[in-house]
Amino acid sequence: MSMASTQDKVRQDLDVAAIRQQFPILSQKVHDRPLVFLDSAASAQKPEAVIEAMAHTMRCQYANIHRGLYWMSERTTEAYEAVRDQVARFLNAHSREEIVFTRNSTEAINLVAHSFGALLKPGQAVVISEMEHHANLIPWQMLRDRAGIELRVAPITDAGDIDLDALQGLLADGKVALVAMTHMSNVLGTVTPAKTIADMAHAAGAQVLFDGSQSVVHRKTDVQALGADFYTFTGHKLYGPTGIGVLWARKELLEAMPPFMGGGDMISTVTFEKSTWANVPHKFEAGTPAIIETIGLGAAISWVEAIGFEAIGAHEAALTVHALTRLADVPGLKIVGQPKERGGVISFTMDDVHPHDIATLLDRNGIAVRAGHHCAEPLMRRLGLTATARASFGIYTLPEEIDTLADTLVRIRNFFV
Amino acid sequence: MNSLTDSGALYDRLIVDRARTPLHAGRLEQADAQGEGKNPLCGDKTRVDVQMADTHISQIRHQTRGCAICLAAADLMAERVTGLTVPQAQDLSRRFSAMLVNEPASTPDTNTNTPALGPLEAFAPLRAHRARIRCAELPWVALKEALSHVDV
Ligand SMILES: Cc1ncc(COP(=O)(O)O)c(C=O)c1O
Repeated sequence: MSMASTQDKVRQDLDVAAIRQQFPILSQKVHDRPLVFLDSAASAQKPEAVIEAMAHTMRCQYANIHRGLYWMSERTTEAYEAVRDQVARFLNAHSREEIVFTRNSTEAINLVAHSFGALLKPGQAVVISEMEHHANLIPWQMLRDRAGIELRVAPITDAGDIDLDALQGLLADGKVALVAMTHMSNVLGTVTPAKTIADMAHAAGAQVLFDGSQSVVHRKTDVQALGADFYTFTGHKLYGPTGIGVLWARKELLEAMPPFMGGGDMISTVTFEKSTWANVPHKFEAGTPAIIETIGLGAAISWVEAIGFEAIGAHEAALTVHALTRLADVPGLKIVGQPKERGGVISFTMDDVHPHDIATLLDRNGIAVRAGHHCAEPLMRRLGLTATARASFGIYTLPEEIDTLADTLVRIRNFFV
Repeated sequence: MNSLTDSGALYDRLIVDRARTPLHAGRLEQADAQGEGKNPLCGDKTRVDVQMADTHISQIRHQTRGCAICLAAADLMAERVTGLTVPQAQDLSRRFSAMLVNEPASTPDTNTNTPALGPLEAFAPLRAHRARIRCAELPWVALKEALSHVDV
């Protein structure tokens, strides 16, 4: 497809100009250039609706929740708990009791490693993949070292897809209790075949956890259709605030698992001799939660759903095609990974120009990309790289911004080579 | 369109040239001391071989895998500290770090025995790029380790 035609395709799907108006930060300048923000996979920018919902809470309707016997506390509790209903619908959970609020995806996975991990016996195994974010690797290593379980790593193909035959082999001895895998790679953009993986895991008697940190942003998520047992995501990548994440898990699992942290809110009765736990999900929410951030997450979900995943998906797919087309024309540029199905995340290298130099020079031109190992060191080693540069797209990304990226990369290469 | 680096001036020609064609890269067979620096955040790595002649550093070679800033910093460091005594090299290292974190006026040059930064001043614009300062400091970390093994 020609450059003009891939640009036009992007335009048809979404009124991006109107969407950009809702993101105050996008009119900022960096080094006297208009900000070109291509790092949404690390954290997305926030629309006015989210900023306003949080500010409104603090201005007009705020008190601690679940404990006050007064009007303001009750209203705040309602607003907070309403987000639980919203997240349950967002993920198509069976019930609101299956939604546990955490600080982020990392905490959600640590919760599972701690509390589901407590049910595992030495000799059982957990399977992850070669392309996990450290958030879905380190907690399992810690569990392995603590509980004497085995940690198995499913390889990826050179294209960047999960090697399903090899995964089948890892499941064969029936010792695997959990398969914990990314639903979308933050480095390669690979969307993993979650339903297939869940079916394979279940056939081998294992539960399955999907790290949806990247995936929930780009597509409708239906935990029942995926056949998931655990699912995690993080608010700040979904146009919401930092400090709020979600663990979804089947209720029977949550009920069988011991608490993660102890403290206020998670108890039923307390004496010095013995305490009993609150029902799920409150058993897993010790202490005053991120009330304001949770309300901000609710606003983000409403905002995203009002645009709709159909339009978002089409927009990002068109942007990705445009970007792959434009970047292919940059001399010396190599795109890392050619997965069967990819989201709006593209990692690349450019001859011998170090990704950090690429990122710094792009930044001088107002363009924000990520460079480094992207919290996935073992994946970098698998790819034979130490670092890549990564451009990632969001609802507000314009095809012209990708053109600016490609043009600037050509100049950077000329500068170094 | 404006030039690529205008307001930044970080990628001084000297830095780009030394990154591309280092003059002090390699190993020393007869090294008296060696040091290593690693940046786990980006995988950059440098190894420094030092050869002494009496109390002076007579030769330095480095093997560096990293970004242009790190490569050039290693090469220009090797050039600058050759011929210095260990205390002089350590003083220079402190002065280099101070330049990267302070405004120029707040780096008093009281010790007249310390050699001037000279070409190392090319790294001064890093002040505006906090995240990259460690790239320029990595070779100095390796040098510090090497010099700690030298007994004079
Ligand atoms: C795939 C993936 N998993 C997990 C995380 C961790 O998210 P957080 O840092 O919000 O816990 C990220 C984000 O960096 C990610 O991209």
